[in-house]
Amino acid sequence: MSSVPEAPAMIALVGNPNSGKTTLFNALTGSNQRVGNYSGVTVSVKSGETFTPHGKKVRVLDLPGCYSLRADSPDEQVAIDALTGMLPGEPKPDLVVCVVDSSNLERHLQLALQVLEQGLPCVLALNMVDVAEKSGLRLDPIKLSEELGIPVIPMQANAGKGIIELKQTLRFPLPFHPSAPWAHGPEDPGVARRSFIEQLCALAARRPDAHQQTISDRIDRVLLHPFFGWVFFLVVLFAVFWSIFSFASIPMGWIENAQGMLGEWLISKIPEGDLQSLLVDGILGGVGGVLVFLPQIVLLFLFIGILESSGYMARAAYLMDGVMAKAGLSGKAFLPLFSSYACAIPGVMATRTIHSPKERLVTIFVAPWMSCSARLPVYFLIIPLLLHESEGTWKQAAILFAIYALGTLTAFVTARILRGRLGEDAKPSHFLLELPPYRNLQWGYIFRHVFDRAWAFVSQAGTIILGLSILLWALSTYPKTSEGDAADKLAHSAMGRIGAVIEPVVQPLGFDGKMGTAILTSFAAREVFNSSIAILFRVEETDDEVQTRTALRDRLAEAKWPDGRPLFTPLSMISLLVFYIYALQCLPTTAVVAREANSWKWAGGQFVFMTGFAYLASLAVFQIGKLLGY
Amino acid sequence: MPRTLSTSHEIGGAVTLNQVKIGADVQIRVLSGPSCDRLRELGFCENIQLRKISDGRNLICSVCGTRLAISRELAEQVLVSPVA
Repeated sequence: MSSVPEAPAMIALVGNPNSGKTTLFNALTGSNQRVGNYSGVTVSVKSGETFTPHGKKVRVLDLPGCYSLRADSPDEQVAIDALTGMLPGEPKPDLVVCVVDSSNLERHLQLALQVLEQGLPCVLALNMVDVAEKSGLRLDPIKLSEELGIPVIPMQANAGKGIIELKQTLRFPLPFHPSAPWAHGPEDPGVARRSFIEQLCALAARRPDAHQQTISDRIDRVLLHPFFGWVFFLVVLFAVFWSIFSFASIPMGWIENAQGMLGEWLISKIPEGDLQSLLVDGILGGVGGVLVFLPQIVLLFLFIGILESSGYMARAAYLMDGVMAKAGLSGKAFLPLFSSYACAIPGVMATRTIHSPKERLVTIFVAPWMSCSARLPVYFLIIPLLLHESEGTWKQAAILFAIYALGTLTAFVTARILRGRLGEDAKPSHFLLELPPYRNLQWGYIFRHVFDRAWAFVSQAGTIILGLSILLWALSTYPKTSEGDAADKLAHSAMGRIGAVIEPVVQPLGFDGKMGTAILTSFAAREVFNSSIAILFRVEETDDEVQTRTALRDRLAEAKWPDGRPLFTPLSMISLLVFYIYALQCLPTTAVVAREANSWKWAGGQFVFMTGFAYLASLAVFQIGKLLGY
Repeated sequence: MPRTLSTSHEIGGAVTLNQVKIGADVQIRVLSGPSCDRLRELGFCENIQLRKISDGRNLICSVCGTRLAISRELAEQVLVSPVA
């Protein structure tokens, strides 16, 4: 064995959006990562490891998809930094793999040539050769390789074809530093590149003369139709919300049953006392109250994955451009805002593809008002209390739809006002969007993505929520008193005292101290509200039966103010829903906003504004409702 | 007036992409305006052929086999002439 390394230590993948770069990255590293048909899936640099055919380990960086190395957007800046070794903590890559869509060489080679000019050893991954051949394009990889002076590997990353050939290039001696012959002439580099590409494509990628009507074109004629396109779009949106409500109830029933059986088993095994109470009321009640919403979250991410992977998401952005313009935003803000329905964190990160800096700031600011999946548990707890299932699930779905609509509408109005305040950008930017061809769904990636999100949710339930459940249980159990019934015991506990302090603040909103405490705990994470409510209202009762969600609802319906009025009136529940629509109760979001907006002031202002707005909106709902006699 | 342009090959006789009819195949003559670098990166280069697919607030073009949606302001910066 020689001590000379046989393989490069690090390679970087560079390419346009929709070049299949992320698919290639996954094929190389086997890492769990999202693939999408929409530009902006790779919003930060992902890294993974791969092995050469000789078993040497190589680090792989997946750079954000970009159209040029001109540093026009944060995405492109990241790509440039990575290629020049300026990325903090990452060395300069030893080898760059330029990924191009071979059916689109005229466009994708522009970036490839700019990368070649950087002088790093390069390999060209000629991806999606199957698509190119199907469209009648005649490719000549050998000619391309001769003209560009670098290895060219025809491949089909989604089918795993060409991966071995690509891996063969990841070893010493590395390909020669490209000479970039076009860059040495007297012409403007842009003009020189384009004329080089034109000659190259005439030689090595000849197109058939006739302009073909593809299947995507035919589908688009319907889905982008000024009328039918909108019908389809609205049907899709409503179907997503409706199926989250109806289909998810089956697996939710299983989880509730399993939870109930586990609770009974624990009660039968452990003698009555603090330990039993901690396990059954604190941990099982708290964590279980949140875990039961897993099916709904899985479904939401499944739908987002399907929409992205099929290519429809870009069409939705195109359709929505006109609507977004009314909010002072563009269609580019659609994906970040739509992703925020799942979680504001990826949503805020996806704003990196927005070119206009001010539009980006505004989008970040309003993104948390797109009701995220962490609010769903709260909605699902409250909505059936407001309207019983026997009234029809479609009515419940309509309420859920209204909740989303209210948050979205307020976000749009705020965005418009804010956009007006911030004024125009120094450099005008216009709407520009690539509509990828419709593709078959990549189920493997969709399921991996859904699994990742579900796992993130479960592990949060196992850490933050578990910890808070134990803390809440302890606060509502100690200090103990032997006198009186359960309600007196709770009033005596630390939690009861906190509740008493908070009560005057939340009473104008129609909440009592216990609800106030539950809201307070949910500032760590919204879904904690459910576990808090379960724990807080359970202690008041004396029966030992493990509660299911229905039992919790019954208990909430029975809850009363000291003077005997019911605590959960329709009005106070609407007030509670309104509070949850608007309040920014998510520390990770605030941290991500501070990083992406590069300003703690912006993030802090957002937190104070949204929470203050939530309080005032909730106050207005309850007080006006009361005046109207509800 | 695209009809009169079929014989014109001078840049001065070209029309903007906004004025082209849906379904027409055209060739890009020249790009002029503040956003032309970005347009070129997307594939709207001189001499490239494209087909206009739809009109509206934003228009959709097929360039080298890819559908691109661009705003009317951008389309105004693309001067084209019909393919002979």
